Amino acid sequence: MPARLPLAAQRLVVVTGKGGVGKSAVAAALARAAAKAGRRVLAVEVGAGRLGALLGGTLGPEPRPLGPHLAAATIEPEAALADFVLSVLKLRVLARRLLESTSFQVLAAAAPGLPEFLVLHRLSSWLDARRLGRFVYDLVVVDAPATGHSLPLLAAPQALGALARVGPVAERLSSIGRRLTDPTATLVCLVTTPEELAVRETVDLHRELAGRLGLPVAPPIVNALPPRRFTAGDVAALARLETSAPAHPYLAAARLELARRREAAAQVAVLRRSLGPPVRLPFLYGGPESDGGLARLSAELALAAGLAA
Amino acid sequence: MTLERALGEARILLCVGSGGVGKTTTAAALGVAAARRGRTTAVLTVDPAQRLKDALGLDALDGAPRRVALAAGAPLDAMLLDVKRTFDVLVAGLAATPEQARRVLENRLYQNLSSTLAGTAEYMAVETVYRLAEEERYELVVVDTPPSRHAVDFLDAPRRLLALLDSRAFAILKDPTSILPAAGSRLAHLLLLGVLRGLERFTGLGLVREIGEFVQAIDALTEAFRARVAAVAALLRGRGTQIVLVTTPEPGLAAETEALARALRAIGLSIGGVIVNRALPRALFADPPPGPPPGTPPPLAPRLARSFADLKMLADRQARVIAPLLAGADAPVLAEVPLLAPPPASLEELVDLARHLVPDADPPAQATRGRA
Repeated sequence: MPARLPLAAQRLVVVTGKGGVGKSAVAAALARAAAKAGRRVLAVEVGAGRLGALLGGTLGPEPRPLGPHLAAATIEPEAALADFVLSVLKLRVLARRLLESTSFQVLAAAAPGLPEFLVLHRLSSWLDARRLGRFVYDLVVVDAPATGHSLPLLAAPQALGALARVGPVAERLSSIGRRLTDPTATLVCLVTTPEELAVRETVDLHRELAGRLGLPVAPPIVNALPPRRFTAGDVAALARLETSAPAHPYLAAARLELARRREAAAQVAVLRRSLGPPVRLPFLYGGPESDGGLARLSAELALAAGLAA
Repeated sequence: MTLERALGEARILLCVGSGGVGKTTTAAALGVAAARRGRTTAVLTVDPAQRLKDALGLDALDGAPRRVALAAGAPLDAMLLDVKRTFDVLVAGLAATPEQARRVLENRLYQNLSSTLAGTAEYMAVETVYRLAEEERYELVVVDTPPSRHAVDFLDAPRRLLALLDSRAFAILKDPTSILPAAGSRLAHLLLLGVLRGLERFTGLGLVREIGEFVQAIDALTEAFRARVAAVAALLRGRGTQIVLVTTPEPGLAAETEALARALRAIGLSIGGVIVNRALPRALFADPPPGPPPGTPPPLAPRLARSFADLKMLADRQARVIAPLLAGADAPVLAEVPLLAPPPASLEELVDLARHLVPDADPPAQATRGRA
């Protein structure tokens, strides 16, 4: 029995995982599923990636409508930093000179979490945005950077909090930190493929996020699971056919698929032992950008998250 | 360039590409291929999967070279990149006194910088390559580069660090008014100091003071560091260094690789060639689907046809995805590695992969399979 995605009243969903595992496709599919179920959704991409292409639009720094109940935007950490410096310095010329100087890179790097904090700050302002007394967005789905960089993002309140103890930043930090660790407010989804390195990274990331940072992390999502194509009887028949026609393209294809399925099953077992049963998403031969590809992921996620249309 | 020539002539072979493209495995297989062709080789890897570590016999994580038990060919050593240790050794080597080294290593800002400043880990990888090249113990060093946010950081690391250490940049930290048009004037000084203080109050960070302390601590090392970094940068651009771009035909990764290829050219580095991993064997799917092999049980036939049709769809998609990358990389495809499941888990399988990448000139003559 595959796991369910415990998405109830949380308004912030952060989707992350190793590069190349289909994190953006899962974020896009989840945003679609929630929008279809009637929630007003904002899908946000951190940095430049594929989210816009998957949702069928171009993303900008301000939310743009992409369909019924669905809007999307992008946050560039560098641009967020520039905005912040400008808002503090007020003088455009001065801000630009400062941002372009090599020494400012030192400053930004020396304050770990500053650009990440600015990203979280922007997410928070969208979550808090109200119109006529009600929230503009019921749900904000974040296509977060790949593992190595989403950890700094999600750890920013703690990392920066150690440096900034008083002042407006400190206040904002602690409220963002509370929101991120509140299981009724936030859900972090880790996406992986059934491959050794991705699974290992997911297990490590889960330990960091749930253990060290105390964030509410969902059961892992295994994406791109090859289908179970052949029965045990088929496998025996294939072995017999191999002896008479080993070079037949059908048999070569079947060999490849059987090997991929075996490897995937072994990796899912590793994941299950470490983190419990995962949510499973199928491998899409035509890719998520193909006709009906994203819709299929959406339907699977809607089912797993109990999102009724 | 061909892989055969690169493995025969280069002194340093850099495998670059996004995370998750199989760079580490490719680097290991290239090392095996070079050793099998008689060159004493070292493979520097960054984050190998357990299976690859097992295949190479890399059990310890201490950065020391381990001899790989190849049955034939020249010696092959494998080692893991140890960023922390490389960094410690570098600072200790450059500092005039142990006290000077200690002051740098213990500065809190420096500790933050060493892990967060873009390019530091990457620079330490290059530094290790430089040391190996200096030692002249190996004829060839094959390098698996760290996955970077800006993937070009690794190759651009020397220049970036040099720019950072440039005395003018540090002068700004010592006297922030130098970024103003009216540098040095009293007005400029007051204006900027006020702004920085305001920034400090607003963020609650003690940045200005801490940066001052950091600059003092690092200042003593700067000159020695500059010379070293310049030498490392020259090595990377030298004739003996070849860059191989590793990619897979998946949309996200191919797009990242394309951006990386552009960025490499922008900093004046040329790509020797491209290795495409996890490609479906195109020849298999070139012809229209044949019927099932004779003797196929009727219920199996449609499942076989479906499996073939799906994989053909995947192969077509791969071809579409990879085409713009290959056009933009302006470099030949050196090899395509078929979709393997699972990746090499033993030395034998790694040797098989090496032989796929660079076919033996005289295959039956050598008994090269099997581990000692």
